[in-house]
Amino acid sequence: MADHLETRNSTTTLAGPEPVLAPGHTYATVTDKIAAVPLEVGWPRFWIVGFTISALIFGMLLMTILWLLGKGIGVWGPNNPVGWGFDIINFVWWIGIGHAGTLISAILLLLRQQWRMSISRFAEAMTLFAVACAFLYPTFHTGRPWLAYWLLPYPNTMAMWPQPRSPLLWDVFAVSTYATISLVFWYVGLIPDLASMRDRAKSRFAQVIYGILALGWRGSAQHWNHYEIASLILAGLSTPLVLSVHTVVSFDFAVGLIPGWHATIFPPYFVAGAIYSGFAMVLTLAIPMRAWYGMQDFITMKHIDNMCKVMLGTGLIVAYGYAMEAFMAWYSGNLWEMFMFKNRTTGPYGWSYWSLIIFNVLIPQVLWLKKARQNIPLVFVLSLVINVGMWLERFVIIVTSLHRDFLPASWGMYYPTKYDWSMYLGSIGLFLTLMYLFVRFLPSISIFEVRTLIPRASKGGAH
Amino acid sequence: MSATEAMRPYLDKIQTRGLLAGIVGLIACGVGFMVDHDQFWRSYLLGYVYWFCLAVGSLGLLMLHHMVGGQWGVAIRRGLEAGTRTIPLMFVLLLPMLFLGSHSLYEWTHAEVVAKDPVLQHKSVYLNLPGVIARAVVYFAIWILLATLLNKYSQEQETAGYWAVRPKLQKVSAPGIVLYGLAVTFAVVDWVMSLEPHWFSTVYGAMFLVGQGLVTFAFMIVLMRHLTDQEPLKDQDKVNNFHDLGTLMFAFTMLWAYISFSQFLIIWSANLPEEITWYIRRLNGGWGYMAAALLIFHFIVPFLLLLQRRVKRKKAWVGMVAAWMLVMRLVDLAWVILPAFSHSEGQMPQPHLNLHWLNLAAPVAIGGIWIWYFMMQLKKRSLEPLQVS
Repeated sequence: MADHLETRNSTTTLAGPEPVLAPGHTYATVTDKIAAVPLEVGWPRFWIVGFTISALIFGMLLMTILWLLGKGIGVWGPNNPVGWGFDIINFVWWIGIGHAGTLISAILLLLRQQWRMSISRFAEAMTLFAVACAFLYPTFHTGRPWLAYWLLPYPNTMAMWPQPRSPLLWDVFAVSTYATISLVFWYVGLIPDLASMRDRAKSRFAQVIYGILALGWRGSAQHWNHYEIASLILAGLSTPLVLSVHTVVSFDFAVGLIPGWHATIFPPYFVAGAIYSGFAMVLTLAIPMRAWYGMQDFITMKHIDNMCKVMLGTGLIVAYGYAMEAFMAWYSGNLWEMFMFKNRTTGPYGWSYWSLIIFNVLIPQVLWLKKARQNIPLVFVLSLVINVGMWLERFVIIVTSLHRDFLPASWGMYYPTKYDWSMYLGSIGLFLTLMYLFVRFLPSISIFEVRTLIPRASKGGAH
Repeated sequence: MSATEAMRPYLDKIQTRGLLAGIVGLIACGVGFMVDHDQFWRSYLLGYVYWFCLAVGSLGLLMLHHMVGGQWGVAIRRGLEAGTRTIPLMFVLLLPMLFLGSHSLYEWTHAEVVAKDPVLQHKSVYLNLPGVIARAVVYFAIWILLATLLNKYSQEQETAGYWAVRPKLQKVSAPGIVLYGLAVTFAVVDWVMSLEPHWFSTVYGAMFLVGQGLVTFAFMIVLMRHLTDQEPLKDQDKVNNFHDLGTLMFAFTMLWAYISFSQFLIIWSANLPEEITWYIRRLNGGWGYMAAALLIFHFIVPFLLLLQRRVKRKKAWVGMVAAWMLVMRLVDLAWVILPAFSHSEGQMPQPHLNLHWLNLAAPVAIGGIWIWYFMMQLKKRSLEPLQVS
């Protein structure tokens, strides 16, 4: 423990002159400020308006699902040859978005990056909600979601066993493990703060609910000891998951032999893309939240700057992936590879490839400039641009690779139907609804972790 | 400069030993060249690529450190900087291979083979000797320019202070790492992937980038382990530094396994004739044992050792694992490079394991010279880590 703290202090000096917590805070002010959002701020107008809109969009999702269950998945656009459409595009998009939460809470914890502390809580919540949205697509694509448990290998009397060579089965394991560990990690991290909420809540109802959720946390030294061990173990378990989940998702494509899917760079490049889109989504959510609730002291410019740099770095890895795909398509000298790339860039879906390059590669290069990284409205717009870009990436990979396969007689086009769109928009509604509820009822920034950022008196008041 | 002065006899001793090994290796290689011309160049390529990865890998890790910071980089920075200053030597060592050895190495330099092969004709715009040489000049210009700037600013940092010069180092490193990554990718396509000119893999460059990081971490750990035994640097013998470096070596070992396995799984499962031949040559005729050895000794054993905190926190132990990884990196490169030559072409490739003694002599010869030159560079600057203040 002593050793752990010592190394933490040594990184403070290395982290540079910019603080990750605004000066002038004490333990009490941190707790007051963060705990006030669920306990005292109540129902501000921006919350009610935002929540209502999100809930209405979520309602559209429910209507779509009802219609889908009644009619079957034929109401969606996939056809032959484009057997996968919005369902897998959105699945991959949402799963990717979730990755930032796991990266922030697990890998940055192991790397002792202090700036993670004030954004980890809601990034983890974002992970959970994104995974929930992702779950919708494969589940409803089965057509009979009440039989979705058939995807699991369990002894049954139907002599039925899932194909262990199929990456789709690996997905079932990868994603469900990921969802479980993320949920446990998030909840364990919440416990000390839930106890603070229990102690501060005024209404009997809130006291009881927070009290039950806090699992009897009293903050004893022994509790903290267990807590530290548990969070290190969970971080260790989550770290390989950051890589493995999107790697398995990339295998859904790469393990096949369709040109445009079958590329050895897919695993690392999917992981980088996932982190890229995840950080973009964290910024999309953090920027309005810090403004609405006045959290600028906790989510400082240093955080925004660091997240922009992570986006720039992962964005460049993604760009490297595009460059390698383009170069190797030519270098291979392979008829199908070369045709795939020509069709992707100049075929009927060429617009999607070039928009992808503009959204994901060209525009984000402004992040090289410190001025751009310090300009909040610009960063917000960029985060949206990258979210769109990463969605386009999946569209390009899936649709342009499938729509013209080896046999010209079977070529076709893919047009999403209005149910594809309403399911996609509806999932955003579900995501935002959950986010609004989370911000309203739980401390969206980790109180006890931010408190450790307050300089100790014994350090001689360096800041 | 005090530590450097005090340690001069020790460093001189290593330098002389390096030179001796280099000379002995060169004599052996000379004999080998007389005996088997082709084999000499193939072994030379193996030795060259191994030490090239260390020299250029130092540049990559140095830029990574300037961008993300961390105590680990402060600890090994002097070694990394000396490593980047050996890049010009690697350029000199590349020239004989491209000018004299390319015919023994690269099928695409044989005009009569290319004339019969439409795929090679298609690629000849890229895979031709003048093009490969011109690109090599560009790659080295990029690496040497970056190394020169970083070394220059680092010198300034001694006097001007850590924080005053850090932004400059970062401004070079951020675009630098992008250029570095692209140059390494295309360099290994030119020099190594094109040994089997029909084969291609999009993750190939990334695999070498990770391998470079791994071999460089291993080398720097071994270096630190020995230097901190000597008197003036004994106070740099910090448990946390070795712990962090061990963790990073662990991470790179896993990344190597991750990329290698994903490439295998993707190619194996599709089983396409133009791709699977690469693995047929590397899993049959005795090479399969080498692949199994890589799986066990390049991944499983170091994984299990480095997973343990107590191994990473004992410098003798983490130093031993690092020395082991230096050996395994050579085995891995041998497995990637050598099977390209040892098979008789037919309907199906017939690989046979061929471990010529030159495959050991050439890496020793080039390595001896490299160590000699590296030590010369290391002695030029202060050995004490730059203080962050």
